[in-house]
Amino acid sequence: MTDTPDISPIRSAVSKNLGARYRAELRFRAAGLAAVAAAVGILIVLLSSIVSGGLPAFTVNELELTVDLEREVIDPLGDGSEESLRRGGYSRVLQSAMRAEFPEVQARRDLRNLFSLYTALNATRLMDEVLENPGLIGSRHVFTMPLADDLDLYLKGLLVEDRVLDTDGALSLSVEGDAVTVRSSATDFRDLAGEFARTLRARATLLEVEADTLAERAEGLSGNDAEDMLYDAELNRRRALDIRATLERDAGPLALDASLPSVLVEVDGRAVALTSIAADGATASGRFLLGSEPVDAMSDWTLYVIDTPAERRRVSDQLIVWTRALEARGVISSAFNTYLFANADSREPELAGVKGALFGSILTMIITITISVPIGVFTALYLEEYAPKNRFTALIEVNINNLAAVPSIVFGLLGLAVFINAFGLPRSAPLVGGLVLSLMTLPTVIIATRAALKAVPQSIRQAALAVGASRTQTVFHHVLPLAAPGILTGSIIGLAQAMGETAPLLMIGMVAFIADAPTLGLEGFTQPATVMPVQIFLWSDGAERAFEARTAAAILVLLALMIGFNALAIYLRRRFERRW
Amino acid sequence: MTDAIHNPADELPIKVAARDVTVSYSGKQALHNVSIDIPDRSVTAFIGPSGCGKSTFLRCLNRMNDTIEGAKVGGSLTIDGQEINDKSIDPVVLRASVGMVFQKPNPFPKSIYDNVAYGPRIHGLALSRPELDEIVENALHKAGLWAEVSDRLAHPGTSLSGGQQQRLVIARAIAVNPEVILMDEPCSALDPIATARIEELIDELRENYCIIIVTHSMQQAARVSQQTAFFHMGNLVEYGPTEDIFTNPRDTRTQDYITGRFG
Amino acid sequence: MSIIAIVALAIIVMLAGAFYVGRSRAIAAVAGATAGLHSLPNYHGYYVAIWTGLPAFLLLAVYGMFGTPLVDRLTASELRRDAVVLTADFEAELVADTATRDLEEALTMLRARAAAITNSMADLRDASGSDRDPHRLEALGVEQTELVNQIATAEEARLARRNMLRDAVARAAAEDGASLRALAGFELVHAPRERRQLFLSDARRIATDGLASRSSDELDAAAAVMARHDTQMRNLFAGLALALAVAGLIRTRGQVAVAFRARNHVESLVTAMLFLSSVIAILTTVGIVFSLLFESIRFFSTVPLTEFLFGLQWSPQIALRADQVGQSGAFGAVPLFAGTAMITLIAMVVAVPIGLLSAIYLSEYAGPRFRLTAKPILEILAGIPTVVYGFFALLTVGPAIRSFFAMVGIDDVVTQSALSAGLVMGVMIIPFISSLSDDVINSVPQSLRDGSYAMGATKSETIGRVIMPAALPGIVGAVLLAVSRAVGETMIVVMAAGQGANLTANPLESVTTITVQIVMLLTGDQEFDSPKTLSAFALGLVLFVITLLMNVIALRVVQRYREKYD
Repeated sequence: MTDTPDISPIRSAVSKNLGARYRAELRFRAAGLAAVAAAVGILIVLLSSIVSGGLPAFTVNELELTVDLEREVIDPLGDGSEESLRRGGYSRVLQSAMRAEFPEVQARRDLRNLFSLYTALNATRLMDEVLENPGLIGSRHVFTMPLADDLDLYLKGLLVEDRVLDTDGALSLSVEGDAVTVRSSATDFRDLAGEFARTLRARATLLEVEADTLAERAEGLSGNDAEDMLYDAELNRRRALDIRATLERDAGPLALDASLPSVLVEVDGRAVALTSIAADGATASGRFLLGSEPVDAMSDWTLYVIDTPAERRRVSDQLIVWTRALEARGVISSAFNTYLFANADSREPELAGVKGALFGSILTMIITITISVPIGVFTALYLEEYAPKNRFTALIEVNINNLAAVPSIVFGLLGLAVFINAFGLPRSAPLVGGLVLSLMTLPTVIIATRAALKAVPQSIRQAALAVGASRTQTVFHHVLPLAAPGILTGSIIGLAQAMGETAPLLMIGMVAFIADAPTLGLEGFTQPATVMPVQIFLWSDGAERAFEARTAAAILVLLALMIGFNALAIYLRRRFERRW
Repeated sequence: MTDAIHNPADELPIKVAARDVTVSYSGKQALHNVSIDIPDRSVTAFIGPSGCGKSTFLRCLNRMNDTIEGAKVGGSLTIDGQEINDKSIDPVVLRASVGMVFQKPNPFPKSIYDNVAYGPRIHGLALSRPELDEIVENALHKAGLWAEVSDRLAHPGTSLSGGQQQRLVIARAIAVNPEVILMDEPCSALDPIATARIEELIDELRENYCIIIVTHSMQQAARVSQQTAFFHMGNLVEYGPTEDIFTNPRDTRTQDYITGRFG
Repeated sequence: MSIIAIVALAIIVMLAGAFYVGRSRAIAAVAGATAGLHSLPNYHGYYVAIWTGLPAFLLLAVYGMFGTPLVDRLTASELRRDAVVLTADFEAELVADTATRDLEEALTMLRARAAAITNSMADLRDASGSDRDPHRLEALGVEQTELVNQIATAEEARLARRNMLRDAVARAAAEDGASLRALAGFELVHAPRERRQLFLSDARRIATDGLASRSSDELDAAAAVMARHDTQMRNLFAGLALALAVAGLIRTRGQVAVAFRARNHVESLVTAMLFLSSVIAILTTVGIVFSLLFESIRFFSTVPLTEFLFGLQWSPQIALRADQVGQSGAFGAVPLFAGTAMITLIAMVVAVPIGLLSAIYLSEYAGPRFRLTAKPILEILAGIPTVVYGFFALLTVGPAIRSFFAMVGIDDVVTQSALSAGLVMGVMIIPFISSLSDDVINSVPQSLRDGSYAMGATKSETIGRVIMPAALPGIVGAVLLAVSRAVGETMIVVMAAGQGANLTANPLESVTTITVQIVMLLTGDQEFDSPKTLSAFALGLVLFVITLLMNVIALRVVQRYREKYD
């Protein structure tokens, strides 16, 4: 149409820059879509990072040890009384079971190392089992306990990079004193030696480059800084030279140290850590980590490489070898992590669970519900149905709106100053936590209830009043039941919010380490406790890496609870929704 | 309804022609096979009871129905012989040449000047500020508002009275110099004095534009229009010179409506 | 079962009985013709039951709240009375002790010298021209540090001496066969404040057969006293509650009559209860304001308001500093305000464009099905607890930022930075902004959109030139509310922003905020009267005032806007 001659001037004028305008339109639209996509994308990243971080914590590798519960060890007084059983040497029971697994471990240091496959706290768990079932005394009993956190991570493949290499030859081990010579009938070690040599060469080059950069920077400076840099540069050069010198020494064996990957040879129940690889690629020397007997030409063997160098990981080759051996013997098995739910907090990540926090949350929420819902509903009823329109009512309304925007941490300060310091209520208790959270939730409940009450049509009130009901009868017999679904939904959403709240509870001391779950009873309200979000906060700070997964797992539990609450709210809204 | 197609003012060229236009909203038919020829440089009034389809038809003329979800328009509609529902016709271009004034005055929350300059600005019609000033002044003159607002062009458009706001909206529409101006009950929210002002203005604008006005008031239709079309239940019942429709309606429905038996 | 529980049960039984009595008396009064009653029989029942149960239960609730502190206070005062003689001995000993006197004299002298040095330093700082001597100022500074250290040492010595004397008096008294209660009282009176609390709670645990943190004969004696008071209190409250219930029952039972307006009475009680509930909201605000103000005033009596608001150094932990007068640390809150402002700014830079654009897209462009899916997803973001965002920042965003900057060649980026906290906080606020803006955009009248489209404007032109200007006040209000939320947000910054009180404009460094410092100051061990603890309340007051102001302004703006279009 643009080329029609009798076109009106306005149409042709508009058509001229139409293209640019539509491009702008498209850009704007794309920006809008990108914003939505960004928000959704971030949510996906957030959830997937937490799910992937948390899932490993739902399984656990457990040691199933057969322990000898000898009467003289665990019942020192010999009367089978609780007092006597509490004094028993349960650690010794566990230790001897471990020693039975690895009889060749004798040195004190090695033994200590061996016992670090599990945490000593398990002795208490064994004691509890015996106390619960005294019939176990004197019997052989299969005791299940979680593997130490780092080794658990190792078995889940989260701690180190490792691989198993293919082998061609038959393997022989010969022993001379402490040293073991490993010989393969094929050049099974050649690729590894080449790889390590390349690594070392790259390292030397890197050091040289760094040295050059330092020297260059030093030129522009003077004084101590320049001298320090030059010194560092020289040091780097010398290290590089050392590395190169070792490499150039032709036909010499390649030494493996803690800065290189560990190479383990496993054969027939023995394990050898290689200390050097000979130039021929078929011979290597090493030391026994497991077993001590020579082997002659066995073709069934494993060449296992841990690529994360020993100096950059938290577990030694020795512990890994023991763990692998136990796994091969079927003593270690992976199972659903019941500790996560059956235990309260613990210093040891493998024994830490959310039970205490869960109970604390339940107790706190009970207080919050019993206070905030009735008071909130009553307030809303008063404001919506009874209150005269005067200054005081206006003040209350402004007040509620402002309270809704007060930062939650300020409610914590209020709790600390009023409930704890002025009223003398106990610190860290669900009672105080519940009180603080109910004050915080109150505005939400009030606002939701008022909206629900407003939605009830005036005609219903008029109808009730017209048949002679009093105002209170109208409200309680007609308006309130009709508004109930809305009130319920609003309250649940408010409570779900309160359940995820952390900051105010830190103020009133619910942030302490509490190893015992509070009792789910009246006295539980004043016992020290913590709640789910605070537990998450505490664990996120944990030094052990295993706490990372626990934190994510705890978050998943909390999110599941909150999703449950919100789903309930949505269900109730759908089920009872009424439109006028 | 082909018998409705005739040009009541034979001396004037046809501006808008509709053939078998149907409109449905989410499957519910709102307009049945409307065919009509509307002449240029005159005022054509659409009358009829509420819900009769007159506004719906009006909104077809600048494709405002596009903005409503689920609206479907069928049939053929031409302006100057060009099919406006054609894919090659851009609604933006169409709307620039077909101005519209709504029931309730809807000045934008901007100054009086910016309100009038809105169209020229978005369409890039003025190359310089003096040019834009001229367009704005012209449009305000044509809308008969210049004398009242020339000293306060920077005031917000919403600060004017209802009648002034409606004239401001008309000025906004004619600032881009359209070919057709659609008015959807432009006086229904105004008092009688403001209404009279607007009607005067419509009469003046007739010189240059094709004006189509939807109105509820038969008196208004009689006062301002040269042609009148009567709609009922989504059908165009009768169309002809205003005088004929009011003095000598052919259809009984038209007669019942203008004598006040329903509506 | 404790007597309180028995009484509570008894009252519940009485409650049911009271309802029955009220009801049946009302029926009896009209011989079964209930239509003759002014109020339905049930209302008579309710009336009697309420007056039987309510006062008694309120009393029990008061006991539940304040019983323990009351017993503690009674026990402490009794023990103190028992220890009067010992305390007097100790005071006399203290006055007579020459070592103490010497130390006190030395302290007075040292303090005077410190004050003199402070004055001359201040003079030097204000001096100009040739009087300005930086070397002398430095020398004075060194001397001041030295003096402050000496004062601390002397203070410690004095305390040690005092403790020694106290222990000696206690030992001598024990040998002389003083009562254990007197010894317990003496220990309680002269223990530091936080120890006193521990002493009492240990005594309580022993009295209730719980596990105490330590055991001693004195504690046992104190526990015996406490158990006595506890029982007395309990019996007193139980008896009173029972009496109240019986009195209520008897009184109201007599009132039941044909013309008695039981319903009106019950309804006015209900109304009163509803009114009292709504007063709680006010009480909460009053509680917040007073507790913050009260502690803040105490704080500002040691640290001047101007130093707090304009001081550039924040180090409440470090007690001794050369450039600080006294031992209270530095309480200049400007670094906290700056850190809060920076993180809030970053959060807004993320949240406002994304939130606003999504709201625009969802309300103006998206089809109904897309809207129905995308909106709940945004709401999920709003429902995620902040501690989860904090963990996300700590675990994912912080390291990602670090490796990103390492990739572009900036190596010394810390994981806990203003940037990572700000970004994550921005994400948290996106749904807040988008849902508020959505409301605002939807309340722009359709007629304005129609007007613009009819002029031939495209969608984006309509949005940019008509809808946004019209919605601007509402959007400003929404952003203000979002800022107030960002300022008050705690967990994300605690976990992701680090703790260094750096006054910096570099978002890659770790900064600290008002909320982080409140958490730092109030978690862990705290002495309640130290300026360190009190400063948390001053910060809380600042936070409260800022958020309140923003909220009031925002609500005003939004309300004006609503009025314009409603």
